[in-house]
Amino acid sequence: MSTAGVADASLRAGISVATPVLEARGLVREYGPVVAVNAIDLSLGEGEFLTVFGPNGAGKSSLLGMLGGALRPTRGEVAIRGRPLVYDAVAWRASIGILSHRGYLYPQLTAAENLRFYGRLFGLADLDGLVAERLERVGLATRANERAGRLSHGMRQRLALARALLHDPDVVLLDEPYTGLDPSAAGVLRDVLAELRDGRRTVVMVTHNLGEGLELATRVAIQVSGRFAWQGSVGEVERASFEHHYHQVVEGRV
Amino acid sequence: MATAGIRRAGLALTILGLAGLVLVYWLSFFWVSTEMTQGVAQRIFYVHVPAAWTSFLAFGLAALTSGMYLWLRDDRLDRAAVCAAEGGMVFATIMLTTGPLWGKIAWGTFWTWEPRLTFTLLMWFIFLGYFMVRSSTEDPEKGKRFAAVVAIVGALDIPFIHLSVVWFRSLHPQPVVLKPEGPTLPGDMLTLLLTSLTVFTVLFFGLFLLRYALEGLRSRVELSARATV
Amino acid sequence: MSLYLDQIRVIVWKDLLLELRTRERIAAMGAFAVLAAVLFAFAIDTSVVRPQDVAAGLIWMTMVFGGLLGVGRTFHLEAQDGAMLGLLTSPAPKDAVFLGKTIANFALLFMISLLVLGVFMLFFSVELGPSPLVLVLVLALGALGFVALGTLFAAVSSGTTMGETLLPILIFPLLLPMVIYGAGATSRLMAARPVAEVEGNVRMLGAFAVMAVAVGAMLFRFVVED
Repeated sequence: MSTAGVADASLRAGISVATPVLEARGLVREYGPVVAVNAIDLSLGEGEFLTVFGPNGAGKSSLLGMLGGALRPTRGEVAIRGRPLVYDAVAWRASIGILSHRGYLYPQLTAAENLRFYGRLFGLADLDGLVAERLERVGLATRANERAGRLSHGMRQRLALARALLHDPDVVLLDEPYTGLDPSAAGVLRDVLAELRDGRRTVVMVTHNLGEGLELATRVAIQVSGRFAWQGSVGEVERASFEHHYHQVVEGRV
Repeated sequence: MATAGIRRAGLALTILGLAGLVLVYWLSFFWVSTEMTQGVAQRIFYVHVPAAWTSFLAFGLAALTSGMYLWLRDDRLDRAAVCAAEGGMVFATIMLTTGPLWGKIAWGTFWTWEPRLTFTLLMWFIFLGYFMVRSSTEDPEKGKRFAAVVAIVGALDIPFIHLSVVWFRSLHPQPVVLKPEGPTLPGDMLTLLLTSLTVFTVLFFGLFLLRYALEGLRSRVELSARATV
Repeated sequence: MSLYLDQIRVIVWKDLLLELRTRERIAAMGAFAVLAAVLFAFAIDTSVVRPQDVAAGLIWMTMVFGGLLGVGRTFHLEAQDGAMLGLLTSPAPKDAVFLGKTIANFALLFMISLLVLGVFMLFFSVELGPSPLVLVLVLALGALGFVALGTLFAAVSSGTTMGETLLPILIFPLLLPMVIYGAGATSRLMAARPVAEVEGNVRMLGAFAVMAVAVGAMLFRFVVED
């Protein structure tokens, strides 16, 4: 069970939404004998932005995979607005957008074609207009007809973000979005991600990057060996000392 | 889980089966009458045919439990499928090695494309695919699912394989390795065949249960090893 | 329902468009088809065997091996950039993904099988016979059954450490009925036998194709789940 502090409990009591938007109860993920995620609970309301930090092998990607329906939980369940997500069902997938550091893009399709493809999979209407608008929003309007493989890494990440948000999902999951980005590209990505703090969406981000991770978060968790070793709201966290705190938690001294 | 009970039942059936096997061998050599056209070499029929039918039974069992495993995700079903597949492969190997041996003695030819041999050969390869797929995944759970799919598709293909081989054979007459097959089987031969069939089935289930109990023990050991980590 | 069909349509479109742009598989399959026919032509000693006697069988085996080349790489398109997860986390049902990929593979293999037919007609001096449309139908049904099984097991073999090398081991035993009925019908039609003689074969090929597609669609989800 996660060591939720008193501060966190009172924070939860303070959430005014009737049903949390994204919930996880007792999530477990095993790969054969290896337990990657060991009974994690989660409860996020509308507009919240949770950043999960943790060392490699902590199981962060597996956690995100289960929240996003990419992985079937070994045990436990995920619920959106109170309704449990069944891995085998598909309709609920329209409420979730996923940005992985792996893009999910086809290098030989153009930026616009990539978005059109996913647009049709999601059954979205008026694709021409939608695709143009979204490319504009991430600053790729001029690259619409360029093959995704020819874009720089930073631009591909922005395209992947456009893909993730194409269907206007309530829940957005970001898996190490800053990986491999130089500072200026990271800055651009941060600006685009900042738009997610619009109060409507619920976001979970997994990252190594302590600086960027704190920037946008409302809640913070540190995952170690498949569990949340520490959870808290961003208000509790002193950015200056967070790095120290993080290392303390990871090394088991808290 | 009543592993000890399963093991005892398996042991009992296996001993019964082996005893029955000795009886069948004795009867095949000394009791049953000699077939007219094929002579003494035909007696292998009473081992050869039941071995084939038992491997088909095993395959069907493997496919059925595989289907149920994919549906219910109970590991015991997967274990049952593996044990059935192992048993089936063993009996198929027996059939495929005795068949050509006998064919050489009786007909001077090691191999013909007669339906039962062809069928068993293909099924042997499907079993091979089953085991190869099971052991070549990084995540063992994936391996179990993949193997289950192999077993199910194989089982569904069986009717097609059978029909096509029979059709092929009707166009290309081959020396008939196993006769008699139909209702023309005289009394004592039929009796022995049915007896042998029963014995082989009993033996198969005995071995299956023993193996299943062993798998159950193995998974329990794994689980407790994991818990101590 | 129409979303479902559109999802299948867009997956077919995507696969074929990518094939058009990379030309990976069609080049490999096409080159194989022609080169295999060339090698076969020289491997058959025409003083001992009439080419027309063996053409049908060789056509089908060339189709099988060439088809393996193409179908084995079905999921390579998605392997880059992890796009497979993009498909699986979308609202497209997994059987729609399977059907889309199978149809795209079929389009590819069907074209190649016509090429194989043409090349063998050229090198082995065989005729189409009086019922060319039935012959094409036979090839089409065989190709459909093949790609359905191939797509399913390509997903399986991609998930193993052995990869594509496992694919022939898995599907060759299952393809026996297709080869028997297909080659049988093809040789009869080429020998100008009446269509009524191959009716049974055509029906069996059709049933096989239907079974393969249905089973593939139902089992695919168990193969790609994680």
